[in-house]
Amino acid sequence: MVVALGVAAINTGNNLLYLLVSLVLGLIVVSGVLSEQTMRGLRLTGAVPEEIYAGRPALFGAGIANGKRWLTSYSVTLELLAPEARADTAAGAGRARFLYLPRLEAGADRLVTWEETLPRRGRHRLAGVRITTRFPFALFLKAGRPALDSEVIVYPAVKPVSSALLREIVGSGDAPTRRRGRGSDLYNLRGYRAGDDPRLIHWRSSAKTQTLTIRELEAETTEDTRIVLTGAASGDSALLEAGLSEAASVAVHLLRAGSGVELVGPDITVPLGRGRGQIRRVLTALALYQPGAGPVEVPEAEDVGDGDPRREGRALRELRIRIG
Amino acid sequence: MSSMLALRVVTYLVVGDGIAALYLAGLIGPLGVALVVAAILVSWALERARERGALRPAVAWGLVGTAAAAIAADLFYLAQSVLDGLVHLLLFLILVRLFMHRVLRDLRDAGFLSFFLLIAASSVTFSAGFLVVFVVFLVLATWMLMLHHVVAEAQKAGYASPESAGTHFGFRGPLMRVSLVAAAGTFAIAGSLFFVIPRVGQAALPFRGQLGRMVSGFSDKVELGSFGEIETDRTVVMRVYFSDEIADPQRLPNLRWRGIAFDRFNGTTWTAGQSRRSLLRPATTGNFHVSVAQGRRPLVRQEIFLEPIGTDIVFAAPRILRMELRGGTLSFDDMGSVSVPSAAARLHYTVDSELETPPPADVRVAGAGSGFPAAERLRYLQLPAMSPGIPRLARDVTAGSRDPYEAALKLTDYLSSRYKYTLGLKRQTQLEPLDEFLFVRRSGNCEYFAASLAVMLRSLGTPARVVGGFQRGEWNPYGRYFMVRLADAHSWVEAYFDGLGWVTLDPSPRAEAEAQAAQAGVLSLYLDAARMRWYRYVVNWSLTDQLLVAASVQRQAGDFHISLHWPRDWRARPWLLAAAAAAGLALAWLIWRSGLPGRTSRHAAPVPRFYERALRLLARRGLAPAPAETARQFCGRVGSAAPALAAPLGRLTGEYERARFGAAALTPAELGEVERWLVALEQS
Repeated sequence: MVVALGVAAINTGNNLLYLLVSLVLGLIVVSGVLSEQTMRGLRLTGAVPEEIYAGRPALFGAGIANGKRWLTSYSVTLELLAPEARADTAAGAGRARFLYLPRLEAGADRLVTWEETLPRRGRHRLAGVRITTRFPFALFLKAGRPALDSEVIVYPAVKPVSSALLREIVGSGDAPTRRRGRGSDLYNLRGYRAGDDPRLIHWRSSAKTQTLTIRELEAETTEDTRIVLTGAASGDSALLEAGLSEAASVAVHLLRAGSGVELVGPDITVPLGRGRGQIRRVLTALALYQPGAGPVEVPEAEDVGDGDPRREGRALRELRIRIG
Repeated sequence: MSSMLALRVVTYLVVGDGIAALYLAGLIGPLGVALVVAAILVSWALERARERGALRPAVAWGLVGTAAAAIAADLFYLAQSVLDGLVHLLLFLILVRLFMHRVLRDLRDAGFLSFFLLIAASSVTFSAGFLVVFVVFLVLATWMLMLHHVVAEAQKAGYASPESAGTHFGFRGPLMRVSLVAAAGTFAIAGSLFFVIPRVGQAALPFRGQLGRMVSGFSDKVELGSFGEIETDRTVVMRVYFSDEIADPQRLPNLRWRGIAFDRFNGTTWTAGQSRRSLLRPATTGNFHVSVAQGRRPLVRQEIFLEPIGTDIVFAAPRILRMELRGGTLSFDDMGSVSVPSAAARLHYTVDSELETPPPADVRVAGAGSGFPAAERLRYLQLPAMSPGIPRLARDVTAGSRDPYEAALKLTDYLSSRYKYTLGLKRQTQLEPLDEFLFVRRSGNCEYFAASLAVMLRSLGTPARVVGGFQRGEWNPYGRYFMVRLADAHSWVEAYFDGLGWVTLDPSPRAEAEAQAAQAGVLSLYLDAARMRWYRYVVNWSLTDQLLVAASVQRQAGDFHISLHWPRDWRARPWLLAAAAAAGLALAWLIWRSGLPGRTSRHAAPVPRFYERALRLLARRGLAPAPAETARQFCGRVGSAAPALAAPLGRLTGEYERARFGAAALTPAELGEVERWLVALEQS
């Protein structure tokens, strides 16, 4: 339209048409300046959840901060690029989602969260999120660099363990071992350390010793478990995924109950361990497991603590799960 | 007011502004405006009905189809011109958008279409009112586009409106201020671009020029008394600038704007019946050379803007030497009248003139037109059949005159002193008009005076002709030009004397009559100056102006380069430097004091003075807070070291935390308590 109007102005020599052409050009320039002002000083930081499970909604977050000292940013849109296709491609543009911030004052910041469900386990590159604006006249789109476009590991789906399987786990094994866990009996008293659950503070002992003392509870499970993945795992992918999901579910259940878990199978070995670190190791190994792709690298196991059957030479209870 | 409602209001106002532009340009009349506005109001009122689905889409589109057929017929058969048809179509489309408004885009489209109304108006108007329409459109359209954007973005993100997303953007909202700033910025940029965008030639007249009304008195024929109609009309029809060489144009004597001369009189009507016209073509410089300077009189250059008054006559200070006017040819007659080929909407021209200076009263002439060819003498001595009273009166008045020039001066003085100037021209007798004027009524307007003098001069054998034009007009000090009104239309006489040539004689005592007339007020002078600037610097902005400005900028840049010795001047005025430095420091301090929003939000309030005082008291005792120690920790440490200080310092610390981190203002009673604890702290 600007070009047509300009041609008309030149052709007729009518100065009022020149004035209208100038108006449109002025609007374009002001639009560019204001949108640049809106985008300048905006910082986008992404927040990825620590654990992402396949098929379960995970809460992602992005912090937007307006670093400008004086000027408010108006009409900022947070564009959630589609996971499978980037929004800057024609295919991905239709699937992008938008979170809208009408205004962000100077020096202010805002945290925006949204849920996203990643359907499959394994490594995923997040499509990312970016700040865009069409402010003030929707003539142009200005976009910042994407954030949250990093790679994440999606763990296999973790489901409640069936009661039959629970009976199988509890009913097997030989010598019981007394160790720390999440049971109800007292295992030990020790000094408070940062990160301990305040509900476990032993107030009477704390009052007596004038230092915060915390209760350590005894694990209710009696034995450590070796989860053995069996089968060729080459054909039926549904069976593979179901088996891996079951293994993950059992491992998480046992580890959360304070038990030690070891994972072995074709091309996969996670030494015995317990606690949150072991949960991460087992889930990572199961997430990255690909039949025939070679051994899965997992983080080095930490000290498994007291009652390590490897040290004590005891046998582990074994649970076999078919993946093929 | 919600964003959505504000958007609707602003969009309707934008449409209203477009309609105002059409009205200003004469593309729709008052009736059309009333109908369109009524339709727009109905579309607003139908909003609720539309939400209920009262207007079925099928019915609506049926109406649209019928209207579209009517528009097509209008465009091709009924409308006065294609432009009129397009304007009707635009109005129809806007109304359709407003009536059928279902989605946000409809409102936006109605606003965009309004812009085309301005384009249509710009092709047929050059009124200064267009600037008002333009500025209003700029402000409203900026606001409309912003509102549309934020509402659309909110809806795209799943909100009903920006209010749902937690921000109020209606009137008085923060976006309104941003919009005003954006509009101001756009205006500044658009203004700059307007003057800078290269032109390819002279500014053009509008697509369909508006001719002014026909003004009697400036055609080939004029009846006595015809000026009477316009001499009360104060419409400004001509504005005359003088070149910078004339320091004080309003002091130029005998300034008048000559138009057409008449040589034939039939008793009631003057005509230019025997004039010989010739075409003038521009010289290679583009100028028209009309006559040659005689070299004895002052030369002046005038830039003249002539409003459309329905005449092809060009007005300028006599005698015209050279003209600069856009156009192929000029018409020039042997009585010095210059005209353009057709009566255009507006004329803008530059004229070089050799100003007339009246000969001294005691100059003697040998005769009047004695060297004229016989045909010329007959032409300028022609008289209709008339009563013998007029020649007798002429002879009586001029009795004893030593030459024709003295006789002419006597007649001029006689008429101007014995007769009254009036615009009341009602006939009182059945006598010939001049007889009635000279012997019965003894009052009349300038045409009667001029005709009487010319007839009496001719009866004495002095060649004479009547000239029509304008008086000098009113000086506008704010624009530095003469404002010439229709009411300044004037007639005078030119008589020929041997050795002097054609001499201007003005017998009308009009100046005395007009001395009592009210002058224009300051406001109207300002407004006219503003209007003139609009014509001069916007409507008529041309390639020539751009070249002149570029040359001026280049010259001034050179001057600036030469004047780069300014540091010496600064050193010569140290007080000026000191004042500038002080002003800069004061400004910096004010900015610092005003606080930076981003910074103040991240920093705590300053330490209260009473706590600073307490710290000073404790410091004298060798107690000072460690760098990483909080006030509460410091209080505990002081309490352990000096238990007597624990109580007052504890209270002071509590108030300190409340004042600094709780942003609480202490009451006078609390400040009294604080003072007591400070005393206790000091005495402990």
